Amino acid sequence: MITLAVFTFFAVLAVAGAVLVIVQKNVMHSVLYLAFTVLATAGVFFTLQAEYLGAIQILVYGGGIVVLYIFVIIIVNLKEVVPERRSLLPKLVLVAVPVAVGAEVAYLLLARGFPVAEAGGEGMGFETMAETLFGSYLFPFELASVLLLAVLVGAIIIARRKLIHDPD
Amino acid sequence: MFVLIPLFPLLGAAVNGLIGIRGFSRRAVGATAVGAAGMSFAAAVAAFVGLLRSAEPAIVKTLFTWLPPSLVRTASGSLASLRVDLSFHYDSLAAVMTLVVTGVGLLIHIYSLGYMAHDKSYARYFSYLNLFTFAMLILVLGANLGVMFIGWEGVGLCSYLLIGFWFRKDSASNAGKKAFITNRVGDFGFLLGTGLLVYALGTIDIAGIAAAVEGGALAKGTATAAALLLFLGATGKSAQIPLYTWLPDAMEGPTPVSALIHAATMVTAGVYMVARLHVLFSFSGTALTVVALTGAITAVYAATMAFVQTDIKRVLAYSTISQIGFMFIGLGVGAYAAGIFHLMTHAFFKSLLFLAAGSVIHALSGEQDMRRMGGLRARIPRTYRVFLIGALAISGFPGLSGFFSKDEILASAFASGQYLVWALGLAGAAMTAFYMFRLIFMTFFGEERFTEKAGEPVHESPPVMLVPLQVLAVLAVIGGYIGLPRLLGGRAWFTRFLERTTGAHEAGLAPGTEALLMAASVAAALGAIYAAYVIYVKKRGEPARRFAERCRALYQTVLRKYYVDEFYGKVFVGGVFAAGRIADWIDRRVIDGLVDGTAGVARRVSRLAILFDERAVDGAVNGVGKAHLAASSVLRRLQTGHIYNYALAVMLGVALVITIAVAVF
Amino acid sequence: MIPIEAVIVLGLLLFAIGFVGVVVRKNLVVMLMSLELLLNGANVILVGLGRRLDSPRGTIFAMFVIIMAVSEAAVGFALVLAYFRQKKSYDVDALDDLKG
Repeated sequence: MITLAVFTFFAVLAVAGAVLVIVQKNVMHSVLYLAFTVLATAGVFFTLQAEYLGAIQILVYGGGIVVLYIFVIIIVNLKEVVPERRSLLPKLVLVAVPVAVGAEVAYLLLARGFPVAEAGGEGMGFETMAETLFGSYLFPFELASVLLLAVLVGAIIIARRKLIHDPD
Repeated sequence: MFVLIPLFPLLGAAVNGLIGIRGFSRRAVGATAVGAAGMSFAAAVAAFVGLLRSAEPAIVKTLFTWLPPSLVRTASGSLASLRVDLSFHYDSLAAVMTLVVTGVGLLIHIYSLGYMAHDKSYARYFSYLNLFTFAMLILVLGANLGVMFIGWEGVGLCSYLLIGFWFRKDSASNAGKKAFITNRVGDFGFLLGTGLLVYALGTIDIAGIAAAVEGGALAKGTATAAALLLFLGATGKSAQIPLYTWLPDAMEGPTPVSALIHAATMVTAGVYMVARLHVLFSFSGTALTVVALTGAITAVYAATMAFVQTDIKRVLAYSTISQIGFMFIGLGVGAYAAGIFHLMTHAFFKSLLFLAAGSVIHALSGEQDMRRMGGLRARIPRTYRVFLIGALAISGFPGLSGFFSKDEILASAFASGQYLVWALGLAGAAMTAFYMFRLIFMTFFGEERFTEKAGEPVHESPPVMLVPLQVLAVLAVIGGYIGLPRLLGGRAWFTRFLERTTGAHEAGLAPGTEALLMAASVAAALGAIYAAYVIYVKKRGEPARRFAERCRALYQTVLRKYYVDEFYGKVFVGGVFAAGRIADWIDRRVIDGLVDGTAGVARRVSRLAILFDERAVDGAVNGVGKAHLAASSVLRRLQTGHIYNYALAVMLGVALVITIAVAVF
Repeated sequence: MIPIEAVIVLGLLLFAIGFVGVVVRKNLVVMLMSLELLLNGANVILVGLGRRLDSPRGTIFAMFVIIMAVSEAAVGFALVLAYFRQKKSYDVDALDDLKG
């Protein structure tokens, strides 16, 4: 019961933060609300007994990505306020589409019910997780490191001032 | 050990593509690529010898689990565990294919050393060529449809890269796109067929499918549907009706590419796939008939278009489509071994013809139009000799490889009782002989119609190009003898070797009938060659011109490839155009709230109506072009370039899919 | 015990809010932030289902999503910088090179 209450608390915080992210005019404020949402989501992960993921969420998202956002905004001096669309009708339409999709998914998933864990699921403990991650998912895991390396190189090249000429 | 076969080309592609493109000398690039192809061929030979020695009919090697087992509920309601391994499968069918792919591939790599010698992007070319060999080998060796699909897409990708190799030329990059998109339609069929098999059987392992089908786990209707969907994929890759239009355009690529991809290997992927899944196709029966009929109709249909082409490579392209039709006839009447036999001999003589055509083009410094050739027999005698051998082989001249394989297909078709298919096949064979010799006579006989450019005299190709040609010519002559039929004193070794995989198939013809059929196809081939001789040498092509003059409409129709390209353009582009109009309306009205959108659309509709009027009055060809312009002028409105519109479109698509899911389940 | 329905609804809400952010806002940086929200929504559902099935796979997939999100943010920012240098603006409406 307590867990459910904590979950609800974090869930409400996350949703409220998310809404604030997208309605803020000032980008800096948006980033702060994003951090807020991210931390609240980490709380949700904790209540779902995914402590490891919650920790990663705080470290990587809260510590890494959000700080990266702040840096970029400072570097490029984002003072300019981009004019937003004025009329209400298009906005409503744009909102209606994802809402409809969400409702459909919810209907589809909730109306059918969910399979329960078969007798003796694998469990969610650290040990099982590590074994699965470095067993069945070893190859994707290694690929992820390749991806990160490629991103590192790619980001540097894209952000460089001069374009490199194709030698071909 | 056979797993090594695809490894070498992959290494070659990686080395040339990553390092060679920056710092290697031309020598090093060539040595890497040819070395990789050569080692792969050596590995294929070693694996083949190993298979001959072993008593096992097939060897399966699993590298690792690709998708871990997951439960799927099959159509019958039972639970099956779907597990996909990255595993390879080697049996007599795969052995033949790997030998053909690596062997012909090796010769073409060597030929390319000479043909591409002056190209700037030498390393890029060889990297693609190696990569293609790798993808094709994965396709051939894959033990389940998933692995096969990797190769299937891989060859499509490499084909795109190589057709558009000279991407600075508009026609080349367009041809590449056309090939890719047309193939995509077929690939979708392949995917749907795979999905249907997962739904029905819960497995995509080829051996598993065969076992399940033989065990009676599949309803006949489902089997037919799955087989036909997979066959749609085959028509895309193997350029059969209705998805053949890309192959003639693919001739924009370098000539060795046409030889390797669009004659010897990739286009046979569909044939191979049908043979690989022969249990499924045989079980369905209906699907097999469709395969045979599609093959027979394509064989004749493509041959008619080869009659009127004047571009030397395009004649060969249509000839390829037609010959693959023959292979499908063989498969479709249940004579899988005969189809694969023809696949092999065709790989020899068609790559020979393409490479020899490349040598002709090389000799004339890039000229491809046969109307500006003629009399080359004396100028490039070596090329002429190998070309003649190739043409005789494809025409089914007695004693050469094409004769045996084609004859086996026709005999099987006759024995199966599908006389229509047989008659179409025989007609196709005669037509093949006719257009091939039309090509020979126009190119090598008669007066010289080309003009020699100063400084670039007509010259024979260097040995690095001629030697592969001569090797292929030898193969085109003797390749048929490994499958010498019993009637002629042979032991049909090839057929028996393949039947270890495909199961026995008895033609069941009386020796007298078989001899009669053989005589009929020989007579058809010789008659057609004689007719071509009379028309194009004795009367200098006069009857052909008169005929074209007299039946102008017919001639134009065939020359314009039966307007199929225009038809596809109109129906599919037109379909998108209608959708575009609707989307345009929504976009303007709802998203941006623009009022004059309707007026604009109405104006466009009326413009289209006027256009239609003009077209109806003016007749066909002109208007189609205009319709395309009008269609694109509306269609481009859909491409606003704004990212949120694209995102919204994606989301609408998701909504639609989920709505369908909600409605169905 | 948290009902799975609640988790899914939370995930869908975050996803929908993120999507609305992507399509409604015209500021590139805010659009990137909305993408993060969207991915977070997906993560919540993944973790919830993993919990429901008592399997570590949900968490593992969520981890891969986070890895992907990091990559996306890094490349996204590089693109924003390159874009800003060219156009001196963050307005996505100026980004219409794909216009037909």
